[in-house]
Amino acid sequence: MKVLIFLLLLLSNSFVAIAAESSPVKPLIKNSQITTPVSAKLWLNRLSKSLKTLNFNTSFVVVKNNQAEPYHWFHGRDENDLELEIFATLNGPRHDILRKGDVVSYIEPEVAPYSVESEKLSGPIPAIFSADISIIENDYEFISVGRSRVLGRVAQLIRIVSKDQDRFGYWLWLDQESGLLLKLAIISLKGQLLEQIQFTHLDITDSLVDTLIQLKQADLPPVIELPTIKQDHKLTWQVNWLPTGFKQIKANRHSMSSTEQPVEFMLYNDGLVDVSVYVSASDENKRKVEYVMDGATVVLNQVVNGFEISVVGKIPSNTAKAIADSIGIKTAP
Amino acid sequence: MSENKFEKVSSLVDNYQDVKNENIDLFDQLNTDSVLSDTWSHYHLIGDVLRDELQSKISLDFSTQIAQAIADEPTVLAPKQSTLFNTVKAKVVQFSKPFGQIAIAASAAGLMIIGVQQNGAVNEIVMPSQVFQTTPLAGFAAPVSFNTQSTNRLSEKQLYIEQQRRFQALLTDHYQQVKLSASKNNNQILPRQQVEDSAK
Repeated sequence: MKVLIFLLLLLSNSFVAIAAESSPVKPLIKNSQITTPVSAKLWLNRLSKSLKTLNFNTSFVVVKNNQAEPYHWFHGRDENDLELEIFATLNGPRHDILRKGDVVSYIEPEVAPYSVESEKLSGPIPAIFSADISIIENDYEFISVGRSRVLGRVAQLIRIVSKDQDRFGYWLWLDQESGLLLKLAIISLKGQLLEQIQFTHLDITDSLVDTLIQLKQADLPPVIELPTIKQDHKLTWQVNWLPTGFKQIKANRHSMSSTEQPVEFMLYNDGLVDVSVYVSASDENKRKVEYVMDGATVVLNQVVNGFEISVVGKIPSNTAKAIADSIGIKTAP
Repeated sequence: MSENKFEKVSSLVDNYQDVKNENIDLFDQLNTDSVLSDTWSHYHLIGDVLRDELQSKISLDFSTQIAQAIADEPTVLAPKQSTLFNTVKAKVVQFSKPFGQIAIAASAAGLMIIGVQQNGAVNEIVMPSQVFQTTPLAGFAAPVSFNTQSTNRLSEKQLYIEQQRRFQALLTDHYQQVKLSASKNNNQILPRQQVEDSAK
């Protein structure tokens, strides 16, 4: 008799539980609720803090052009608060980035290893995510969208959406527990996925992992005295239109790494995205505009009136075209 | 006690008159007690399922669920060519540098060239460039003659290689400059990128 009652109780309980799960009333409304931008910004602040302070050991793949590039990423701080970080490609020729405090070393197949003094590390993860996110607040909106499951964890989806139509959107899935990045997607204006970074494993540890202890003991390539060009170099060309928020980071005349072609070069940045502009003399008089997409990075190239103009950056092709068309001979101030 | 309460809620859901008269304060409890109000909605849901009246409710929630699903999982689509440009869209294939200018350690260079060429080969398998079979750059159909066709093909291929090399050079230089720009002294370039200043 008792067993029967128990069974009945069990059955009725599970039925209520099933009904509760499929119940449309409560949980769904909670999830689809769009929270205020303030909370999205809090999430991004937390991400930045976690990326700077936590000891973690993680792997991810960058997926673009139907290809996946796997990386290993170590980060940590030792007892003296020295920041140590390694980005290492796992397939093909080595592209490693090492950080020891403010010295960042780049190890690449085509160039002798070199180090630069920099707080910013220019790797597959945009540097802004470990810096102050409010830098891009004027040009992008932060929207907290909802929860989902990524890498077997509870993740909060935050969207970084451009306020104009000139930039791509960034979607970030952040770990509820640690605030770290679990997935990143770059989305076009039409909502197409252009490039994504999917984390495949994440370990958060209390102390430094062995690899970072080794890095601490290792000698990095010296910070070489790279030739510097004065910023006020007289360039003949100027860009007359850029999306709001883009500032000139540098302008110089150099020769292209692989073709040795001398170019006038300008680099712009809006806090999240880098855009390079190249102008050089060409043998041809006119060539129609050509462009390719490398994941989210567009490369635009055209020859107008005997000058070759190129624009490179993670921006929509229409924006790149508008920038290229706005280039003109510098007018005296 | 609480079992009793649930029973009363059940009776209320089933519209039994006597319960209504008996428990006026049950309504207040329904409003304040979240467990009780959840039970109320569960009983209604169960009733709806039994009476097969769930249609409208389900469709309502599907929309939120679908919106949720779309938000969580972006559609995987290849980047599409903008209609603004009627140009050739192609995949960037990595090329090795011209041999003359390799001024770094021979072993490293050898490794790089092998690696890069392997990459290039893989790329072509993954994304065969059909662009050039379908849209001839010359803009007209060549006469069906073995000679003309082969020379056309050759120059097209050369153009294609030239184009790919240009794009690859730009990409490489862009990434390089971005890395250097992070430096505190941000207008640095690599030693071999120096140009003689022709400006007086």
